[in-house]
Amino acid sequence: MNLDREKFLKRKKYPIFLAFIILTTFYVFSDLVDGDWNSLENSLDNLSVFFYESLWPPNWKVLEARSYPVCDRGWDILCSPAYIGIVETLKIAFVSTGLGFIISLPLASFASRNLYRDSIAIPFRFLLSSMRTLPSLIWAIFFVILIGLGPVSGVMAMTFYTIGYLGKLQYETIEGISKDPLDAARAMGLSNSEIIMRVVIPESANNLISQLLFMFEYNVRHGSVIGIVGAGGIGYYISTYLKFLQYDKVMALLIVLFFVVVLIDILSIKARSYFIEDVNLKYPSFFKSILRFK
Amino acid sequence: MSSVINVENLKIGYSSSSILAIVDNLQINKGEIVSIIGESGIGKTTLLRNFAKLLSPIDGKLLIFDSQLKPERGKLGYIPQKLGLITHETVYFNVLEGAICHESLLRSITGFHEEKVINKVEDSIKLMNLSDKIDEPIKYLSGGQQRRVAIARTMAQGAKLILADEFLSELDDKTANNVWNIMSEYVRSNDITLVIVEHNVERAKLADRCFELVRNQDSDFSVLLEVDK
Repeated sequence: MNLDREKFLKRKKYPIFLAFIILTTFYVFSDLVDGDWNSLENSLDNLSVFFYESLWPPNWKVLEARSYPVCDRGWDILCSPAYIGIVETLKIAFVSTGLGFIISLPLASFASRNLYRDSIAIPFRFLLSSMRTLPSLIWAIFFVILIGLGPVSGVMAMTFYTIGYLGKLQYETIEGISKDPLDAARAMGLSNSEIIMRVVIPESANNLISQLLFMFEYNVRHGSVIGIVGAGGIGYYISTYLKFLQYDKVMALLIVLFFVVVLIDILSIKARSYFIEDVNLKYPSFFKSILRFK
Repeated sequence: MSSVINVENLKIGYSSSSILAIVDNLQINKGEIVSIIGESGIGKTTLLRNFAKLLSPIDGKLLIFDSQLKPERGKLGYIPQKLGLITHETVYFNVLEGAICHESLLRSITGFHEEKVINKVEDSIKLMNLSDKIDEPIKYLSGGQQRRVAIARTMAQGAKLILADEFLSELDDKTANNVWNIMSEYVRSNDITLVIVEHNVERAKLADRCFELVRNQDSDFSVLLEVDK
């Protein structure tokens, strides 16, 4: 009887916890607003005015060739700001994800406490978290000052952030692998580098690939932001149009970006489904992908 | 007969304040099959992990191959309870993990394996009757076949001492007996020492010597006693 009562009370904890979260959120929010709720009152009207007067309809001239330099490619769209910007963003994301992965994997191995003792792992964790502390936008500002405007700064900025972010995901994955294969390999007398190559990477390969694809997707989205500070990609065009108050063109670029990200998301789910075990991920319909769009 | 494991006043556990078991005196000789039984949580796995040099003893003498240091590469094979195989990799890949003990670090990391290493892998797989499963991922194999892969891995590494931790526990009796027979036949014909933690008392008594970890009446730790067969 007592046991049932305990179970019941345990189950009751979840609604209490949920209510606590909701109430605290509203309390902190009202504290931030500081009684000035009027500022929120007209926000919807403002949004509709801004949307219909400035953003809508999107200006699809962004898909036409730029007037200068003269387009020498077969199709006009290949010389358009949208195409050039998105391709550059994809290139920046691709290179920085690849470089980030290559550098972060050894660092993450050193940061794993099931492979190396704390005196080695903790400094590497500090290194990775310090790289992660600065968002890619700040890294981009830093590299634009250091290297100058252009995609190389973008690549450097996103590589640094990728190392920090991916490194953390990787060492958590490595620490989560089963103890048994590590024990068997250690007892055998294999060195740490052999254990990493023969046990750790094969054992966590599915997760590592899945994280790599996630990071690429993430970098494509962030690639558009870093362009705003001059680090190349579609963000460069977005920031230029913003400066000249051409919001309809910004809207068109955002729609292009949205569809590219959705497309990458679909491809990445498809690719990840090959690597994630025991999860029956089906090829998603287009609508479902939009619903889980982040 | 030379002793492979030599223990005197060994205290094991995870800290000096909580000793799990004490082993007064134990000599395990070359080519001997020794089984250890005992109730759950009494320290069987901890004792085996100490033998495998995965844990350091709290106090006392523990010599493996007459040395306090880690045995040389490949000489000691440890089969954990869940076998320690890479489950989504193939039989070949897993057995190769044992065989790389015979080559240089550079070769094992880069994957340019020597001919003798490849031969060792293939021979071990053949001896364990797994030739038709060579490219099959471990997760698609039956429990008995997975145990045979684990044995093939220790075979490929050329282990002179095999420590197996309850590795037959999840099998039905018929398969477990079959795997036991394969294992004992292999170790006996190659003069290999086997220390096996076993749940099934009947099977444990098939070993040359059987020990039991029993709780000491007056204290929290357990002691290792030889069981009369």
